[in-house]
Order: sequence, then structure tokens, then C-alpha cells
Amino acid sequence: MTRIASPRLAAYAGLAAIGLIVGLAAGRVELVALAAPFALAAVAGATLARDPAIEATLELDRERALESEGVEARLELLSPPGSDRVDVLLPLPDELRSRSSNPRAVVLAPGAPRTLSVPIRCERWGAFVVGPLLVRARDRLGFHSWEARIGGRAPLRVYPSVETLRALLPPLETQVFIGDQVSRAKGDGIEFADVREWEPGDRVRRVNWRASARRGSLWVNEQHPERNTDVVLFLDTFADVRSAGRGTLDLTVRAATSLAHRYLQRKDRVGLVSFGGYLSWLLPASGTRQLYRIIDSLLQMDIVLSFATKGVDILPPRTLPPKALVLALTPLLDPRSAAALLDLRARGFDLVVIEVSPMPFIEPGKDELAQLSYRLWRLSRESLRARYEQAGVPVIEWLDGVPLNVPLEEVAAFRRQARPARA
Amino acid sequence: MLAYAAARVPPFAALVAAIGVFGALLLVFVLVRHADDLLPWALAVLAVAYAVSLFVHGSAVDEGAPLVAAGLLLCGELAAWSLDERHAIAAERDVVLRRGLALGALVLAGLGAAVAVIAFAASPAGGGLAWTALGAVAAVLVVGTVAELVRRTA
Repeated sequence: MTRIASPRLAAYAGLAAIGLIVGLAAGRVELVALAAPFALAAVAGATLARDPAIEATLELDRERALESEGVEARLELLSPPGSDRVDVLLPLPDELRSRSSNPRAVVLAPGAPRTLSVPIRCERWGAFVVGPLLVRARDRLGFHSWEARIGGRAPLRVYPSVETLRALLPPLETQVFIGDQVSRAKGDGIEFADVREWEPGDRVRRVNWRASARRGSLWVNEQHPERNTDVVLFLDTFADVRSAGRGTLDLTVRAATSLAHRYLQRKDRVGLVSFGGYLSWLLPASGTRQLYRIIDSLLQMDIVLSFATKGVDILPPRTLPPKALVLALTPLLDPRSAAALLDLRARGFDLVVIEVSPMPFIEPGKDELAQLSYRLWRLSRESLRARYEQAGVPVIEWLDGVPLNVPLEEVAAFRRQARPARA
Repeated sequence: MLAYAAARVPPFAALVAAIGVFGALLLVFVLVRHADDLLPWALAVLAVAYAVSLFVHGSAVDEGAPLVAAGLLLCGELAAWSLDERHAIAAERDVVLRRGLALGALVLAGLGAAVAVIAFAASPAGGGLAWTALGAVAAVLVVGTVAELVRRTA
């Protein structure tokens, strides 16, 4: 531990020395009397100093938690010689908040371990490392202090909360593997699609006897097969607009987690592309492991400032499989991501843009110029949305506080009204 | 303490009060601005105010000096405690109690030491060069011991 002596100690010694010398020189015993308590305090301060040699351990009751859940940190402190005052601070990132006093000052009895509990509330998702502890021990009169960082580190992963989604967006085309999505194509399946005339090779059990009797020739039933879907979550991480502890990136990550969770539950393959200053991707796959891979990738997500021009060309081809539904979550703030999405549409991908609106996090200025620029900015956003819609891409604004079901329903409604032209 | 020093020398009360008020203001500044480094200077100025009253008053021994000394130490310790508590740290009751008791014991011990000094000075042990030399050696030893202890721990 690093020992720090209070400047008071030297000051008291100096005052005592001056008092003694001047008292002696001037022959005034009162000055010697004035110096005596300070000399005594300096001697007491110097002799009371002993290194408390504090040992500490830090443990969290679990390593994983969900947003808004609580985690308890247990700090165990031990000082063989004891300490009259130990200030203990558990440094926490902004996303975690202590629900009790932190820092706090405690007494450590000689050789007796002391356990402190610090309840932590997980305010925001992320991967964190809690610790080490900052410890400062003081002697009884505060003449000396000892400081150290001890107690090790404890990892904590806070997962984004998952929203319950009633319905998911069906893709325009399904893949060839078995899944839960009723395909628009006709084939072997459960859902009835149509009847057609019998052709050589058709199984007898597919014959629709009622229709055959009515029409005088053999007719067979056709079904929609159940297939799986490839979904690529395309996250725009070029920019984040934040206000009062909330921001567009938080909404994006929560939405991506909810969508990935729900699509993977449905046996679909889900991939992830984080398109921003730092580019990362996950190839589409299915299963629980993929869900954890996606969530771990989302936890590392952050905004990295970059001026590099980027397009979808730099993504590995397998990241965006043909016929995949590309669900883009973007605040529509960076022209690079806007251009990349239009490029995807031009390549024939089934693209849906959920605009994570930055509006709730932006306060327009008071003066006329600020108001004008705000209106111009909103107009430019409208113009961008119109470009997407001209390309047949639904763009749905999603506001903070609105359930994710709402924009998904709006996209479904848009798709019922208008279908993108196939190239 | 300041009033006591000023009241002892009515003709020079203004001078003593001026020095004392400066010291008090310096102490307030230290507390408000958390300027730890200036705390000894504030105490020194307050001590100077008392010393001026001593020199102006005459050669009679002031029997109130131990109280002034203990008061000055108490003032310094309370100010230091206040500065230590500038950060919002929730302290257990036991922590506060221990420091309060230690502070009380230190001030009482300091008062005892000051009373002992005044009492020794008032004892009819005689005077002369030998006693003066003995006093000087004692003072040098005390200063040397304190300085050495402080140097070792600082």
C-alpha cells in the first residue's frame, strides 16, 4: 500500500519547533506551552503510524444479468493489525449503479475479516469488468493514509432486455430448409394452398376426392411447405444520439436482441452485420449458440468515429445469403449506411428499414437559425425516406417508448399494400 | 481565544484583533476552498496574534496559555477533520466515534503538556545560565526528536 503523510504532521512539527525556539529566545514560557500540544500531536501522529496491510477480495453473486436487474458485490476486507478507518470505493462504470453507499468508511478489527455488500443495479447492457477496489486506510487522527487498488476484478455481462414480439416479419422468399415459416411456394406441407389437376407422379393420398367428384376428373391438393428463413440484422453503428442516459444505439441493440431471440426461436438462421466505424459480422446460423454469439457481439458494440468510406462490398459474400431478409436498424444519420442500404436493395435483397428515430433525443435550438436548420434537417430525412420508398423499401420510424411490435406491424401493412418489383 | 488575546491588551486590541481576524479569515478560506496546505499558516497567524498580545502585555506569565494552546490545537484538528470529510463518504458511527475520542484525548493530553510547562516554569527551581543552557538543550532535543519522527514517517 502507498503511504501518504498528511502535511499537517510536518506543519505541527514546524509550529512546535518555532514555538520552542522563539519561546526560548524571548524567554516566554507561554510560547513553549503553546508549542507543547503541537509537539505532542506530531509525536503521537508519527508513532501511531502502522501499515494496515489490508487484503481484499471481490466477488459478484453472478456473472450474467439482464438490464434493470440487480447484482450483489461482496467485498471481504481483512487487516491483520486493524484499522480505525478504511474508505472503500467500488469503482463502477456509468452503466452500473450502486444502490447503497459507495464509497463507505468502515472500521476493521485486528485480524477479523469484514464482509461488505454492495447491491448494484444494471442500468444498461454491456460487458463490464468490476473492480479492483480503491481502498484508503487512515490512522485514528488522520495523520497518515495508505492507498491501494486491491481485490481483483470480476467480469459482468449485462444482457439487453428482450421485448415480447407478437409477430415477426415474414420474408418475401424462404430458404430450402425445414422451418416454421409457411412458404409462399407450393409443395409438401401442412397449410392448404390450392387444388390442381392430377399429374402422373402425384400420390393418391393427395387426391381431393370432393373436388374430383364435382369436376369429373382427378384433382389433388397443394400445400405450402414450412421452410426456414435467413434473416440478417443490419445495424448502423456509425452514429449514436444520446440524451438522459438513453440513445439510439441502446434501442438498436435491444431491438436486435429481441428480433434475434424470436427468429431463432422459430428455427430461422440469423446473421448480424454491424456496419459502422468498426465493421463486424456473424454468418447466419441457427440455434441457442448463435443467440449467445449474437448477444456477445452486441455487448461489444460501440460507436467508433470513422471517416472511411465503406460500402457493402467489404462484407464477406456469405454474410448476406441470397433471399435473406435484411432487417436494417438505423437512425438514418450517416450517408454511408444510407447508401449501403440502397445498394443492398439494388442487389435484390429483401430489405426492411426500421428507422430508430433520433428525434426524442434531440432538442431543437431556441433561436430562429437553429429552428430553421432543424426543419431543414428533418426535410432532408424525409427526402431520404422517400428515396427508400421509391426503391420499394419500407421505412418505418420507431420512436423511443413505442413497442417494437408497432413498426413491425407497420412494415407488414406496407408489404400488404405494395410488393417490391422483382428484377 | 482571539477575544481573550485582544482583551488582555486593550490599547493594542485593534492590532491583535486585526491579526487574529486575518488568521480566522484564512481558516475560513481553507475550509471553504479545501486548501489543506494553508491550514498551518492559518494556525500560525492565530498563534502570532496571541504572541503579540503576550509581548505587548508585559513579562507576567499568562496562566491561560495552556487553554489557548489546547484551543489552537483543537481548532487545527477540527479543521483537518472537516477537510478529511469533504468527500461524500458514508462513515459508520464507530468511525466517527473513534476519531472524536482520539481527538478529545489528544487535546486533553496537549492541555496537560502545556499546563506542565507552565507549572515547571512557575516552580522555584532557580535560574541562571545553567538552567538556560539546560532549557536550550531540552528544546533542541525536543525539536530534533519530533523532526526525526516526522521525517521517518513522512
